[in-house]
Amino acid sequence: MKEISLRVNGEERSAEIHEEMRLLDLLRDALHLTGTKEGCGEGECGACTVIMEGKTVNSCMVMAFQAEGKEIITIEGMATKDKLHPIQRAFLEKGAVQCGFCIPGMVLSAKVLLDENPIPTRDEIREGISGNLCRCTGYNKIVDAIETAAGYLNTGGDSNA
Amino acid sequence: MLKQVGKAEIRVDGPAKVTGRASYPQDLYMAGMLYGKTLRSSKPHAEITIDTTEAEGLKGVIKILTFKDVPHNHYGVLFKDHEVFCSKKVRSIGDPIAFVIATSEKIAHMAIEKIKIDYRELPGVFDAIEAMQSDAPKIHDKGNLIYHYKLRRGNVESAFDRAAAVAENTYRTSMVDHAFLQPEAGLAYLEGSQVVVCVATQYPHFDRQEISEALALPLDRIKVINPAVGGAFGGREDITLQIHLALAAILIGRPVKAVYSREESFAAHSKRHPMVMTYKTAADAEGKLIAMEASIVGDTGAYASWAINVIRKAGVHATGPYVIPNVKVDSYVVYTNNPFAGAMRGFGATQVPIAHEQQMDILAEKLRLDPIEFRLKNCFKPGDRTATGQLLHHSVPLVECIDKVSEWMNQNTGADGGAIE
Ligand code: FES
Ligand code: FES
Repeated sequence: MKEISLRVNGEERSAEIHEEMRLLDLLRDALHLTGTKEGCGEGECGACTVIMEGKTVNSCMVMAFQAEGKEIITIEGMATKDKLHPIQRAFLEKGAVQCGFCIPGMVLSAKVLLDENPIPTRDEIREGISGNLCRCTGYNKIVDAIETAAGYLNTGGDSNA
Repeated sequence: MLKQVGKAEIRVDGPAKVTGRASYPQDLYMAGMLYGKTLRSSKPHAEITIDTTEAEGLKGVIKILTFKDVPHNHYGVLFKDHEVFCSKKVRSIGDPIAFVIATSEKIAHMAIEKIKIDYRELPGVFDAIEAMQSDAPKIHDKGNLIYHYKLRRGNVESAFDRAAAVAENTYRTSMVDHAFLQPEAGLAYLEGSQVVVCVATQYPHFDRQEISEALALPLDRIKVINPAVGGAFGGREDITLQIHLALAAILIGRPVKAVYSREESFAAHSKRHPMVMTYKTAADAEGKLIAMEASIVGDTGAYASWAINVIRKAGVHATGPYVIPNVKVDSYVVYTNNPFAGAMRGFGATQVPIAHEQQMDILAEKLRLDPIEFRLKNCFKPGDRTATGQLLHHSVPLVECIDKVSEWMNQNTGADGGAIE
């Protein structure tokens, strides 16, 4: 057992961890941020994607102790109290959400993609979400949503953009 | 009432799903809950004896459930041919044998390793055609053949005699997993006189009935709650952990949670039926289909699940969307020691196009006809009758569909091979 601190969604958090704990377990079991999902536990599906120091990581492949002192963003950190993030809004508007299990990871991968490349082509979007599997949508509507979200973000993220 | 029709509406569960607030069963936690883990068979066909003594002695193990704890040790959608926990023999790899309830997932894991199963292996059968032979090992007490569907129309023999071209081939499809993204998980607890089971399922009402039968409890003592479901595609039509969890909560009186790994998920739920399809299809010199004979054998693995409905559907759809005056179809489904098959997107109608469409291409080539033209000549149009006798008097927009596809194919033949996004 060891106590670590880290920043999660802009807040200073600390938690007791043990050596076998993954970042995924730390977020879900210790911090109760269950929006981060486990689909495979072996780095294949991307359902557990979170943002660590500005980059996407599979939180099932990162040990909890590796997150010490790091800045983490999970899906719970995307919307403000009364406003969805433009990416989340675009996912809803474009019908990109079905069962929803891949969606937290998809939204976070989309965020990092658009942070780095504000006007991606459809191929670049596909590349950007290539680590995230979706069994429901067939991906096209997710690509549509990310394209739409890029538009919103480039015009200031206004809801009527 | 029709306010929403024709409008793009935001789905009601959408906001919870994009913000991570939606709760799937693995997201449920309760104070004082215990963890359950299933021990599964590592052999495809064997008699077994189970010794849980050492595992029970492990600190943190609360109880280990086996067949002895289940009042009516069976379930299944069509036949009650699954055991809740195998009692005398296992019929496929992955069959559930015991369920450890412990104070942590780690201890449950350790206890699983300490349960001793004595397997006395039996000869197994892994091929559907072999399983139909009279001397094949029997999976259940009755024979391996579960169902034979017959379709007869006209006279195929005389039609084959006057054919200009005949194609005769055997096609095999493989087993397919749904691989829904959310592995099975559940939480069960007591609420007054009721046991509540939270599980992602396609049939909460049917699960409730299965739990009630297996546990010999009246229906009103059981409540099944279906939180967010992370994909299903037919793979959540059969019971997996529902009965295990309900029984655990009832016997212990505390909340019990179980979450399957991806690997266990593959072992626990149904697959798409692999099929062996032997087709003989004939056309006349004008390029009109005149006869088709098909024998289709489906492998349902160790349990029937929806086998009858699936193989009947394969038989009904065997001609594909084509008018054929003389048809003879026999479709069979059999038990083997493979993982069990059940519902999966298309429910038997997905396998047969592998056969009937390749037959169409082969016949077109023999007749020196364009494969699209050949299909247009034979496909269903309003007023046609299917081989099962159904008169198609409503919309049958297949010609329009084929025309549109061929138009697109001709437009989009770029360097990428004409991929349409
Ligand atoms: S759960 Fe981490 S990649 Fe699948
Ligand atoms: S919406 Fe179901 S896996 Fe993507």
